[in-house]
Amino acid sequence: MTLFKEEQVGVLEGLLFAVGNEGINLEQIVYALEIKEDVTLALINELKSRYKKESSGLDIIEVAGVYKMTTKKDHAMYLKRLIENPNQRGLSNATLEVLAIIAYRQPITRHEIENIRGASSDSIVRKLLTFSLIEEAGRLEGPGRPILFKTTTDFLDYFGIQTLEELPELPFVPEDFILDEESDLFKLPNEA
Amino acid sequence: MEYKVKIDAFEGPLDLLLHLLKEAKVDIYEIKISEITQQYLDYIHAMEQLQLEIASEYLVMAATLIEIKSKSLLPKQLVEIEEEYEEDTRETLIQKLINYRQYKEVTKNLRELEEERGQFYTKPPIDFSPYIESTIKLPEQTLQVEQLILAFEQLMRRHRLNQPLKTRIVSQTISVDDRMATLSKQLKYKKRMAFSRLFDRFDKEYIVITFLALLELVKGKEFIMIQENYDEDIYISSLEGDDIV
Repeated sequence: MTLFKEEQVGVLEGLLFAVGNEGINLEQIVYALEIKEDVTLALINELKSRYKKESSGLDIIEVAGVYKMTTKKDHAMYLKRLIENPNQRGLSNATLEVLAIIAYRQPITRHEIENIRGASSDSIVRKLLTFSLIEEAGRLEGPGRPILFKTTTDFLDYFGIQTLEELPELPFVPEDFILDEESDLFKLPNEA
Repeated sequence: MEYKVKIDAFEGPLDLLLHLLKEAKVDIYEIKISEITQQYLDYIHAMEQLQLEIASEYLVMAATLIEIKSKSLLPKQLVEIEEEYEEDTRETLIQKLINYRQYKEVTKNLRELEEERGQFYTKPPIDFSPYIESTIKLPEQTLQVEQLILAFEQLMRRHRLNQPLKTRIVSQTISVDDRMATLSKQLKYKKRMAFSRLFDRFDKEYIVITFLALLELVKGKEFIMIQENYDEDIYISSLEGDDIV
């Protein structure tokens, strides 16, 4: 069954509406519409350009490998009026700091995080786990077999990026001053 | 010298050190341990005077700083090996500060991304579960042994849930033959019985005996087991029922 383009755009819109914040990837749209990938991409662009018009309140974003239907960025100020406590400042500085360390150094143990920060981070790590911004990534083969942590796809979505490669670059550090991993007492020398 | 002490303003001793270096406009690479140690200790004392609880990691850092400082005060010619150690500790501290500052700085960029993404609102996906068909039709109207096992398992599960916390053990032996006789009498009278109704007593022995008796009866071709739907009960009926009733 082949649909005319107008109908296909409509079906795509319906799909995006149905999946909501879970998003839908390119393959799923291809499968549902029974059309080729390049045609699908053209449809997505078509719908996006329609949403650009002032008469629309919607938008499509691409995060963590999926397409999501959202409200328009420019309308955020109006939508915020519906929120009872709009003091959403996001994550605290300390939480963001721990998350940054995990994001750039994953997989990483809690001890390594604390070593970098010079401060205990247990409760923050637990908070990040409940927010599902990080998850366990097995255990380090070493004394005590400590749990390793890595970021999740929710993490990518939270910062509106597709992959970890899109993370902002870390500030430059001269080579002489890059922290020697071996100086960490609890880290085993690489056996490989 | 007076310090404005902000509670919880620092994420840890490294953060405090970075703050002190910034205030003193000292480059990290040019850090002078003796100066920074004094400032650090002043800060800790100020916190003490305000009776703030000082986390142990701040004290560990204070000890490290004092150690580096005191080592550097010792006459050089006497402690050549020690000097090397002093350099090491100082360098490690600088490395740690630089390393930590990297993440602290990138946090600002992440904050921007967070705020940007926060402007787009989404809604949860549609719950499709009410639209999923819950009864599955059997392809043929024959009963498979797996279904029998499944029904038995369901029965045992229900039994477990119904079980009282304390059970009195009464031993009463019945044979498969006894059970077969009772069942066939019941079935000839009732014509059709639900599988789940056959087990009027819930002890393992009774259930096993009943199950065996049932299999024997079906094997003898006097009775048949039918299940209309995958999740429905299995019914046992007598083949000769029509003649008797």
